[in-house]
Amino acid sequence: MRFAVLTVPGFPLHALRRSDPSLAGRPCALVEGEGKKARLTEVSPEAAGAAPGLPASLAMTRCPGIILCRRGPAAETEAQRLLVAAAFTLSPRVESTAPGCCTIDLLGADPARAEALLRLRAAELTAIGLPARAGAGATPLLASHAARLASPVLVVADSAAFLAPLPLAFAEPTRAQEEVLRSWGIATLGALTALPKADVGGRLGADGAALWERAAGEAERVLRLVEPARSFAAEWAYEPPVESAEPLLFKLRRYAERVSLELRGAGLVAEKLSLTLLLEDESDHRREFRLPEPAADADGWLRILGEHLSGLRTPARVSGVRLVASPARLPGRQDGLFDTALRDPAAFWENLARLGAIVGDDRVGTPAHADTHRPGAFSLVRPAEAVAPAPAQVHAPAGPALRRFRPPWPALVTCASGAPRRIDAGRVGGAIRAALGPWLSEGGWWEPSAWAVETWQVELEAGGVYQLARTQAGWHVEGMLD
Amino acid sequence: MPAQSVSALRSLLAERFPERARRVGGGVPVGAASVDAALGGGLASGRLTELVCAPGAGGQTVLARLLASTRDARQRVALVDGADGFAPESLPGDMLRHLVWVRCRVPAEAFAAADIVVRDGNYAAVALDLRGCTERALRRTPSCVWYRLQRATEEGSVAVLVLTPCPIVPAVPWRLELAAPMALAAAGAPRDRLAAELSIRTDRSPHQAEELAG
Repeated sequence: MRFAVLTVPGFPLHALRRSDPSLAGRPCALVEGEGKKARLTEVSPEAAGAAPGLPASLAMTRCPGIILCRRGPAAETEAQRLLVAAAFTLSPRVESTAPGCCTIDLLGADPARAEALLRLRAAELTAIGLPARAGAGATPLLASHAARLASPVLVVADSAAFLAPLPLAFAEPTRAQEEVLRSWGIATLGALTALPKADVGGRLGADGAALWERAAGEAERVLRLVEPARSFAAEWAYEPPVESAEPLLFKLRRYAERVSLELRGAGLVAEKLSLTLLLEDESDHRREFRLPEPAADADGWLRILGEHLSGLRTPARVSGVRLVASPARLPGRQDGLFDTALRDPAAFWENLARLGAIVGDDRVGTPAHADTHRPGAFSLVRPAEAVAPAPAQVHAPAGPALRRFRPPWPALVTCASGAPRRIDAGRVGGAIRAALGPWLSEGGWWEPSAWAVETWQVELEAGGVYQLARTQAGWHVEGMLD
Repeated sequence: MPAQSVSALRSLLAERFPERARRVGGGVPVGAASVDAALGGGLASGRLTELVCAPGAGGQTVLARLLASTRDARQRVALVDGADGFAPESLPGDMLRHLVWVRCRVPAEAFAAADIVVRDGNYAAVALDLRGCTERALRRTPSCVWYRLQRATEEGSVAVLVLTPCPIVPAVPWRLELAAPMALAAAGAPRDRLAAELSIRTDRSPHQAEELAG
């Protein structure tokens, strides 16, 4: 799986209920339209008898006590920030796709761990008032389909088998396309992709080919990545102002949950909290809390903030609150005087695994010289936990450093008096102005993989110093002295 | 914009965002006197520095000096090698213990890897080597990739050196150019002396930007 989608069905209503304590556990619904045209768009599970699309007046008759609300843009913005923060704990490449939906590029993530993290994140979001579902697949589209069908997490391993039984509507055909396909007896994505793509394109045009690609889950797109949070703060207002601690603590919890998730997504913790109560009389009450142990734990923060608020008396009602968390990196260990160990070992090894997933495990590590004189031989080893002091150098490096061409470029070399005089390697060629060499080396003569190489350094008349190697396979340009 | 307005704006930003203002400054010496002099002491922490290298002009020598300098200071370095051109035999084995080498095949891998290592927090310097990648592939890289890398760099304290075949990084605070190719006669010269004598041209620096604004 390469992409994951976190989505919250019924997002506007859940966002509103998260922000308003009076809606907790009570039947409520969102309405759109005015007067007699007002209709329900989202309905809470407690509102028995009401359903989306029902006129508001009828809903009030069928479900006495139902609370009808309008959408809350501020509540949705805050809930979306929470969702994005949760996504950033999974990967640094996140798209805020739509309200209540995030697409995550899992490039480099360990698949088994990513699935476990998706389950954990979905459960956490559900616990804090956003019942999320997560899907994962090879493309953003597949992950999106999986998230729609997940309960709560669905990872698509075999995309063809997953897509085949899905109704045609998943590929979002136009009305005209749907009618044509129905007349062909095609009702599922599998039935459509059973037809050759070229034939579908031939009959339905380019749009038909695009529809086929969507049905096959092949439609790729570039994610519009969002930046992770850089300031870890929340600010909100009360209208009308409040005079007791309960509404303060309710919203503090909601915002603290988001800020702590943002910190965790950035691999940080809070070392200090700053709480400012903006009072109705234009004054304010500000207090800083240095945390006993730096953490990104909203429950721990609320214990400290709640204790302070429970004994607080202010001269006026509270009209707004500002909460700021001062970020710090959690040191894995304390640095010693002469110690240069990893500051954050967890992040280091996790990122190394991510890099390995991107370029291959055998292509990332610390280079070490191989126990041979063969030019260019090396191995990649696991990086050291601590960097020891460098020993004194017996011979300081001399000359420009070599930059290798991998693989080396085959070359035709003309020699005179035993030295190269002209080179033709396609990308580089011409007369040779000066040459140094040869350096002869050989090894492994006691093995089938015996090797022998003659190395030269040459300067072309057109400029540039190159390293040439002559082996049984002929001449090659190994690299450039740069 | 008048210089006074620019400096007033800077003061205001430093006052409003003290954390950010504190992070700017400091640096990682490259160990090549010519480059360090052009950069005012070394690679700026929390900033991108672009080194535009003509073929054979000394880019790899600068990289080798950076590795030697950071090894002496026992600082960790990541090398994101866009075209897999690094030759470990160019340095003694002991001088590589602090290095994490990421051998990429295409620029997309290099950008994805760089995005991870600049956020890591364990590295003092990151070298993103894009020489050997085709200019066409680099020009196709969306600007947002560069801005994302710059923002990620500014968030931490890592110094990022981007080695490029042509000027490619948008809005980079430092851009130096190495244009004069080396000769074979340099083959026996001590590397630190070679690096000190490299011909560097400063194409862009924060000081120039200030002067222009003035």
